[in-house]
Amino acid sequence: MKLTDLFDKNEFVFTSEVGPVKGCVRSNGGPKPPCLVEAELVKDVVHAVNVTDNQSAVMRLGSLAASVRLKQMGIEPIYQLTCRDRNRIALQSDMLSACSLGVDNVLCLTGDYTSLGDHKSAKSVFDIDSVQLLKIAQGLNEGRDMMGNRLTKNTDAGLGAVVNPNFDPLELQLMKMEKKIQAGARFFQTQAVYDPSIFETFIEKIKHLNVPVQYGIVIVKSPQMGKYMNEHVSGVTVPEWIIEEMGRVDKADRKKKATEITYRLAKEIAPMVQGIHFMPLGWSDVVVQVIEELKADGI
Amino acid sequence: MIGTVPKPFEEVMEALEGYEKVAVVGCDGCAKACKSGGSDEVAELAERLRSQGKNVVLEVTPERTCYTGKTHTALDPHEKELQDAHALMVLGCGGAVQITRKVLEDYGMIKPIKVGLDSVGHMDTLVMGELALEQCQECGQCILNETGGICPMTKCAKSLLNGPCGGSQDGKCEVDSSRDCAWVLIYNRMKALGELDKLERYMAPKDYGKMAKPRTLVITERKVI
Repeated sequence: MKLTDLFDKNEFVFTSEVGPVKGCVRSNGGPKPPCLVEAELVKDVVHAVNVTDNQSAVMRLGSLAASVRLKQMGIEPIYQLTCRDRNRIALQSDMLSACSLGVDNVLCLTGDYTSLGDHKSAKSVFDIDSVQLLKIAQGLNEGRDMMGNRLTKNTDAGLGAVVNPNFDPLELQLMKMEKKIQAGARFFQTQAVYDPSIFETFIEKIKHLNVPVQYGIVIVKSPQMGKYMNEHVSGVTVPEWIIEEMGRVDKADRKKKATEITYRLAKEIAPMVQGIHFMPLGWSDVVVQVIEELKADGI
Repeated sequence: MIGTVPKPFEEVMEALEGYEKVAVVGCDGCAKACKSGGSDEVAELAERLRSQGKNVVLEVTPERTCYTGKTHTALDPHEKELQDAHALMVLGCGGAVQITRKVLEDYGMIKPIKVGLDSVGHMDTLVMGELALEQCQECGQCILNETGGICPMTKCAKSLLNGPCGGSQDGKCEVDSSRDCAWVLIYNRMKALGELDKLERYMAPKDYGKMAKPRTLVITERKVI
């Protein structure tokens, strides 16, 4: 199922996200890994689940293998594909592989820089950028590789991209967003935004683009995490009020408070967008609760 | 210029282990500008090697050690000392080391040629004697006409050609917050030039075939093969 079909039908699209484990997933070996458990948790409330691609440049199970596992469990994966670790040959080949293994959605990203991860001395690839990747993916959908060679069978992927509404100057980020649309992006997921006014400004400026946008939100699990994000996650700002509110409650009540804050933001921003993308970082049960509450509100 | 920095002295000593008589060859071009291999640094290293028991038989600093002709000019009068040396220690870029090896081979000498510096890139001098910056990586396909004279291939950690990633914050790079985001620099420059519309153009993937190593520059034909 392509997310683009859902947007075409004016569905309000809910998605969540899992990070593959650092290790293998075997059918017959030990307990189910957290990424599959988390995906299973949200299975009934979301349309699809993003599978991150060696997120934060930390080496893990491949996004494609984990996406296929999700598909086998009846969960629609959104295969995240970054430009950091593969050249143009590998990227195209992996997109053909993804299509051949039943993956219908590909989210094309640049990727976090190598030195931010756990293999700091690795050679970064960045042979092509995310705009070029989208254009190449669109070409594969049309039956040709980037050199114009015909494919025996075309891919049929719903192509997504990301945008950061927090970016300053915003015009520069929007310029890139427009390039992504022209290249082939059919839906967008945003970077985490915690200030509805920033989001509103962004939405106002992209109205004319007529492209579905999912509001992105990382669930802030503790005041320490909020502070950590402000210090170490470039391009995201967790406002003081969230850090304070999370800090005021007992540890045991943090999940409840995180649910409340996430719901509050999601509810306020939902009327501006065509869907919401949750990044729970292990707290997928919060996603379930927030979506149920939003649905009860008629969203 | 080619930026160079000294290797730790222990590494230099390790490279020279087993060689008692040493010739130290510097470079009065880039390495001099980097204060890593000019005649002053050659004298300094020679002194240090002597204090560690080495017999420094020659100190010489060609005007440009990466030029075969200039290295010949400097070394030709010293064939005897070079013959006497068990090994050469070159304070120059990787090119200087290899040209020195070639010049010795021209003399029919097969000698160990060791390097005392690490080469760290094509550097532009911002403040003479103080600060240099990498701004060009010789991609063979210059795009500065399109980007306001600021190179995203070099100044953007990810070499992005179609705009910034989402990790830039307050105009700084996600990889190193002390570094400017190349795309914010490009945006501001193009805005000041009144040419922002030019940034809307799609930039196709680079032809990395033009960076396939090793490249040969045929100067007489003004082309790379």
